[in-house]
Amino acid sequence: MKRKWTTIALIVLLIVVMILAAGIGAMRIAPQQVVAILLHQAGIQLPVGYDEGMANVLLQIRLPRVIMGMLVGTGLAISGVAMQGLFRNPLADPGLIGISSGASLCAVLVIVLISSLPVLHIDSLLPRYYLLNLITFIGACATSLIVFRLSRIGGKTLLATLLLAGLALNALCRAMTDLITFVANDEQLRNATFWTMGSLGGATWTVVFTLLPFIAIPVLLLPRLAKSLNAFALGEQEAAYLGINVKKLKTLIVILATLSVGACVAVAGIIGFVGLIVPHIIRGITGNDHRSLLVNSALFGASLLTLADVVSRTIIAPAELPIGIVTAVLGTPVFIMLLLKQKKQLRSLA
Amino acid sequence: MTITAHHISYWIGQQPILHKLSFTIGPGEVTVVLGQNGAGKSSFLKILSGEQKPTIGQVMLDNHDLHKTPLPQLATMRAVLSQQYAMGLAFSCAEIVMMGRYPHYRSHPSADDHRIVMESMEEMQVQHLVQRPYQALSGGEQQRVQMARVLAQLRDPVSRMPGSTRKLLLLDEPTSSMDVLYQQLCLSKARALSRQGYTVVVILHDLNLAAQFADTILLLKRGCLIKSGKAREVLKPSSIAEAYGMEVEVLEPENYDFPVLVPASHAIQPALIRS
Repeated sequence: MKRKWTTIALIVLLIVVMILAAGIGAMRIAPQQVVAILLHQAGIQLPVGYDEGMANVLLQIRLPRVIMGMLVGTGLAISGVAMQGLFRNPLADPGLIGISSGASLCAVLVIVLISSLPVLHIDSLLPRYYLLNLITFIGACATSLIVFRLSRIGGKTLLATLLLAGLALNALCRAMTDLITFVANDEQLRNATFWTMGSLGGATWTVVFTLLPFIAIPVLLLPRLAKSLNAFALGEQEAAYLGINVKKLKTLIVILATLSVGACVAVAGIIGFVGLIVPHIIRGITGNDHRSLLVNSALFGASLLTLADVVSRTIIAPAELPIGIVTAVLGTPVFIMLLLKQKKQLRSLA
Repeated sequence: MTITAHHISYWIGQQPILHKLSFTIGPGEVTVVLGQNGAGKSSFLKILSGEQKPTIGQVMLDNHDLHKTPLPQLATMRAVLSQQYAMGLAFSCAEIVMMGRYPHYRSHPSADDHRIVMESMEEMQVQHLVQRPYQALSGGEQQRVQMARVLAQLRDPVSRMPGSTRKLLLLDEPTSSMDVLYQQLCLSKARALSRQGYTVVVILHDLNLAAQFADTILLLKRGCLIKSGKAREVLKPSSIAEAYGMEVEVLEPENYDFPVLVPASHAIQPALIRS
């Protein structure tokens, strides 16, 4: 019962956040105007006044950005839940097995190469942007493939090795990224920070539609694995005793997490902490049952990232603060507060 | 279900763990596996569970190769209680017991599943712990909750009468953290299920619990089956001395239909003659 109400509350929260976030910015659009413009698209007229410019800003600039924020937040949150389920540890993070650092290494590499090698110089901005997305995504898949391969012995995936291989590859990718930024010039460096600190600045409808399948597939498939993920918490072997094909489960989870995190990093750079904090908060409210945890984390992740983006684009307007900084700065105190609260609960239990 | 094997061996790498075991484990009785630490008891149970395949030979479940039975099908007729559980994520006790019903439903548990969970918890006397987080329980309580989960896994919903008796219950030291009362409760439950037609295999360390509850005993030593048969035939000072390297006396108290084993009185000082 509590779970159902939490889900409903989170849906309401998401709608409110979406309407507010779409209205906030250099041109203010009141919530009722946002609703009126959106309903007008669906053919319903509301007696609320707005001008064409307002509608254009909302539909062409704000809305893709808000929706992209929701998609990225959802993707990061559910892949966080999936990774934590896989490692049977609430502290696991999608970045843990090197997905995001591999992706950002590739992005930074491309940025520096494009501007230093005339052969690769593509004049128009748009193809260059998509090329970058594609290569970043390939980087994410490649690193997670290497890490996954390293941890397979005789057809079995050893989770401890997976974790260690991920840590090692993470360190390597970070170091190489640092090396490249060390030799990069100012302009390259600014472009590179986009990928290492994250931004939703690249939002367009095309990006939104490109990102959509990569988020939608994990969102639709992961809840089907909820039972398996729960059983997995008992232990790998116990899950097998309950009839679960553990080998397939592990492969599937790594693939789904890589899909969504890889796609998120490719369009928005590295945004830390979301995959860790969102599931953590939801676990505190409705427990660890993945049936509700996945859905609720997806909803809450969407709201949280959209809000973080509002902060990132308004706090030092007209400039933008990288959203990764916002999630880290706002996320850490919340996280520590939660830890302290849980510590108190544990003490009262004991 | 009857489990049969003929000359199966099991190796981990170059290390022989089980050597040429032949046995028949029948339904309707409690089969207890005894032996020293490291004698291969847990490996033996892992082979019976389908988790590990024997390196040589095959294990037959009735007339089918156990290791070719699909996992989901196996999960509805075979349940395993392991020695230890390291729960990484916190679940409530009811959620854990419900996991035993996972092989039986797709996405949402039926009313039957909920009822079976409650009944299993009552059977193991953990019904008062329903909403408690599993991690907050004592070792013995955790073991009872896991036992309830295992019982729930094998239960058939009453609506589907008559319930299938093709069930295999495998328990690896189920009573290791329980107090004396719950040890009795747990093994009585196992015996009651065997009388309903379940095939029950239990690993035990306590020879007296084995004497009380076992119908058949398999005695392992360094991966070999050194003795098997009716409990009374196996629990003899000579076989215990051979398996454990310890001298015991077998007492027959009046009014009891099972023997009691105590360390041999002349050997109480250095009770251990292990070599």
